[in-house]
Amino acid sequence: MAIVEPVQQFERIRNVHKVPLEELYTSGHRTCQGCESATVMRGFIKVAGPRTVVTGSTGCMYVANTSYMTTPWIVPWMHTQLGAGGSSAVGMAAGLRALMRKGKIPEEKINVISFCGDIGGADMGLSGISSALQSDYDLLIILYDNESAANTDIQATGMTTYGAQTTFTPPGKKYRIMQRRWKKNVAGMLAVGHPTCRYVATACATYPPLDFLNKVKKALSVGGPTFIHSYDPCPKGWDYHPRYSHDIGELAIRSGIFPLYEVHDGQVTYQHDARKNRVPVREFLMRQGRFAHLIDEDIDYIQKRVDEMWEEWEIPGVAPIKGGLKIARKSSATD
Amino acid sequence: MIKRVEVNYRGIFQKSLGKKIGSDIAIIATHMGQVGFSNGRYSDSPERNGIPCKYFAYVSPDLSEEELEAECGANLDIDTCDFSIVLDDTMVKGVEPWGWHGIRPINEKVTENGYLLVVSRKSHDELLRFIGKKPYPYHLAILEGDASLAGLWVYKDDLTHERVLGALAGLDPSLISMEAIEAHLLEKTHEQHRVDAAREAYETIRQHTRVVTPEEGIDWPYAPPVLPKWFDFPEGIVVPAVERGFTMGPRGQSRNTTFKRGTTKTQRPVVRFDLCTKCTLCWLECPDECFDPTPDGLYDVNYEYCVGCGKCAEVCPVQECIVMVDELRFEDNSSPWEAYKRDPAAYLEWAEEKKGTERVNYPFVTGTGVAVTAGQRVPEGKVIPVKKEVYR
Amino acid sequence: MTLTAESRAVYEREDLLTGCQAVAQAVRLADVDVIAAYPIRPYTEVMDAISKIIADGQLDAEYMIADSEHSQFEIVKHASSVGARAFAGSSGTGWCYGFEALVVTATDRLPVLFLVGNRALDDPGAFGVEHNDAMAVRDMGWLLCWASTAQEALEHVLIGYRIAEDARVRMPMALAMDGGFLTHSQHIVQIPSPEAVKRFLPPYDLGSRRLHPDNPISIAPQVNEDWVMELRRQNWEAARRARDVIVEAYHEFNQIFGPRYESPFFTEYMTDDADAVLVGLGTVAMPGRTAARRLREKGHKVGYINLRWFRPFPTVELRESLSRFKAVGVIDRDFAHGSPDDGGILLHEIRSCLYPARQRPVVVNFIAGLGGRDISIGNCEKMYSLTESAIGNEAMDGSVTWIGVRE
Repeated sequence: MAIVEPVQQFERIRNVHKVPLEELYTSGHRTCQGCESATVMRGFIKVAGPRTVVTGSTGCMYVANTSYMTTPWIVPWMHTQLGAGGSSAVGMAAGLRALMRKGKIPEEKINVISFCGDIGGADMGLSGISSALQSDYDLLIILYDNESAANTDIQATGMTTYGAQTTFTPPGKKYRIMQRRWKKNVAGMLAVGHPTCRYVATACATYPPLDFLNKVKKALSVGGPTFIHSYDPCPKGWDYHPRYSHDIGELAIRSGIFPLYEVHDGQVTYQHDARKNRVPVREFLMRQGRFAHLIDEDIDYIQKRVDEMWEEWEIPGVAPIKGGLKIARKSSATD
Repeated sequence: MIKRVEVNYRGIFQKSLGKKIGSDIAIIATHMGQVGFSNGRYSDSPERNGIPCKYFAYVSPDLSEEELEAECGANLDIDTCDFSIVLDDTMVKGVEPWGWHGIRPINEKVTENGYLLVVSRKSHDELLRFIGKKPYPYHLAILEGDASLAGLWVYKDDLTHERVLGALAGLDPSLISMEAIEAHLLEKTHEQHRVDAAREAYETIRQHTRVVTPEEGIDWPYAPPVLPKWFDFPEGIVVPAVERGFTMGPRGQSRNTTFKRGTTKTQRPVVRFDLCTKCTLCWLECPDECFDPTPDGLYDVNYEYCVGCGKCAEVCPVQECIVMVDELRFEDNSSPWEAYKRDPAAYLEWAEEKKGTERVNYPFVTGTGVAVTAGQRVPEGKVIPVKKEVYR
Repeated sequence: MTLTAESRAVYEREDLLTGCQAVAQAVRLADVDVIAAYPIRPYTEVMDAISKIIADGQLDAEYMIADSEHSQFEIVKHASSVGARAFAGSSGTGWCYGFEALVVTATDRLPVLFLVGNRALDDPGAFGVEHNDAMAVRDMGWLLCWASTAQEALEHVLIGYRIAEDARVRMPMALAMDGGFLTHSQHIVQIPSPEAVKRFLPPYDLGSRRLHPDNPISIAPQVNEDWVMELRRQNWEAARRARDVIVEAYHEFNQIFGPRYESPFFTEYMTDDADAVLVGLGTVAMPGRTAARRLREKGHKVGYINLRWFRPFPTVELRESLSRFKAVGVIDRDFAHGSPDDGGILLHEIRSCLYPARQRPVVVNFIAGLGGRDISIGNCEKMYSLTESAIGNEAMDGSVTWIGVRE
């Protein structure tokens, strides 16, 4: 049914000197010093190019970018509601496809990209994104995950790391840890749950260099509905000095607490194989004020879950299924 | 009579500090039998790291609470203030909290004979090199100290809070008195050293206060805000995108003109172009698109938009190539690359002079202090790689 | 109705259609580009019909089945922002589930057309008509009007798009139909010809507000206290301008399709020398007019006013009309618990509209037909006589009577 050519040839950006120089998301946004999510915005539109329409769900990358009736966007951009990361992309893609097919606007490849934060994408908007990933439109949904409702001054979401301090999960006299939920495994969930979605990936804006840019490029070239989950260190909510945003991201990947992979036509590839030589997760945690209240047993617990994810999961980092395929004997069903 | 106090602070870094000061002024004044309340400037929220914000405290010896609230409560910002506290001296270069307002002078709201109280290690004259002229005299008081920067969760308890209260009492005991401060601090914390810190500031602040005459300061270069009438802009909540434009070299990239936010920085990156290996990392990792690629493969810095996060300095693989330097050592935002091209030797000399002998770096968790190390002067062109391993 | 010689030119054919099917035919004729569906009674039937029309190749449109009303409404909102004519609809609590999207569609000034098959709000789950669902958007910057026949429903999709998309207006349009009665009962409907529709309804053009790489803009940036008043003021102005655009649209419609509508906002019946009239929205017009006719035979000077447009509210026209009468009975198929005089929503609107009138009739209120309870001719006769009894009786002004409730 698609009438626009879904596939542009995928050419990997082989080295940093091949990255497009022009900015399409430009200086003059009200993001925090050292904001990694801003780097995500900058990066995805750099590789997507000017023939792109973008929607942004409510959250930091809405409020901090298009702040107070200004905009840093050079490409067409529109706000969408917190839970509309998926539906806004479908709406734009459907509108453009209809208008092109009916000859109301010239036929061309226009990228449709929608971004949402973790509370928008992983909590409230999950059902809309799931439905978008079932569609046959060319669209890319980017979930920028700074592990909190950062815009309302850091409240815990379904994506906040276990144990982290947020304004909704303050350590107290009775409870040291109020954030007792384990981080949701969104990319894995979406990859496993949508057989016709051809490309799902996780990413970190700046580590390893170019990885995120190439994943965006690849998603757009594979075509159909695609999804990228980027893990964005947040100096405001994670409480580290802005100059270390790259280092915190690198530590998240190298400690294995955030798995870095892509699922392309069912093939899982790891961009960092944390099954071997993982940096102790303590190195990641102890560099952030949000974990200052943790004690050794908390850190050991987090380390245990991370080790389990890499050593016991059937598909490490992707699907928490253990022990492989077992055929139940009749009797065992009633055991 | 109303006494208005504004606390200028760095978003997030000084959120708790600014609020503590504002609320304590209201509480202490109330204990003294006056009427007082405090609030933050709502439009600063959501706060972003480094962006200038304000917290207010209002005190009156004679008005009713309702009248005071009516006079000071429901405002986007206040029109005048008797005391303007500046918790980070780099804000004297002006503040741009949000779009369309341009860069506003730090003393914009200070009334005639009012007080501008700055936490700084600079002298009056050094600060006045950046502060706009006022048509009337006012006081500039300097509370010696470094900007107290912390994060949301780990508070930096370096007594700045107590010292600012003491200094205010020193400037105007009728606003809050030293006795009332002492009683309040002891009641709250039972810690004498907090009272001592406040008293030290109380006793010395006058020696560091002087009148600023209408002749002193600079002619403010930025125009005041003008917002369009309802029929002067398109319906449907639409703003034109930033016009597309890119050419090689300084200012070659088009940027948002209604919000520049350069006043967010406390430090700026100084670049030794002679050491640059053209690895592109400073440009590639900049979250604010502030590096302009140049024809010779180097990267110019646009200081109008740079927010001074320091990420470029952190990811640069060459020692002393990019160093973060105190923003108050710089008068203008002109292109460093152009200066380097004009006269390389003179530029390198200038850069080293600006960098000085100390390197001020922050640890991972901001509130845990500042690391000051000795800088080294690397000979021209001598590239020494940074031995960097995040996990040691 | 049968097709006459001259009407053949503008009408393609006539058919027996439910209100929903009539709307589906209008969606085809309006050459809508994007349609998003989600099931909820009673509006659903319009999507059943549209999906078949698309399956049969009679309409070329993108058709999505959304995962919720919120997504459904967001899909058409964003389709509209890139320049596509879009259609959706809902009923009852489904309409409320997507309410956030309905609010922003209005503030973003995107002229999507929605069908609201009026349905009682849960709980209890009930499928019958009640007007509170559609009424929920009445203060949000929506165009809101009620059709009382299948023919009107079809025609108001075309009229609705024309008004909503007008550059002076650009507001979303909610076309309300009484669930169960109008949505599902079949009537002979004249279906306009595509050529005639083309003459009446110009293509959708969002102009400089269209989201497209050739027109780089940012839509709905976040703002602070510096901006909201001005933006609200703009939307206030658009809602005011809409009144003139509505008058123009009906005038043009009559010229092309014959003299269908004597006045755009409401239709009067037997009111010329009337002392007491009833005012209502939607299908209650049928028993309302019939009862008036029968009472006239018995010498009662009564008439009926079928209010079509609720937003914008025809303030001047209705004030002028109603101040001719001695007593006005307002029929509310909705509730507004705890509101002034504990009356219905329409009562409050009409009374405040009448307040400045030099001659003010006594206004009484009837809560009737909630949750699909039928409003019979007998009910209407009762309402007429109660209204007549209010003539000259100031004390009865604002009195509320529940009609057809077991007591």
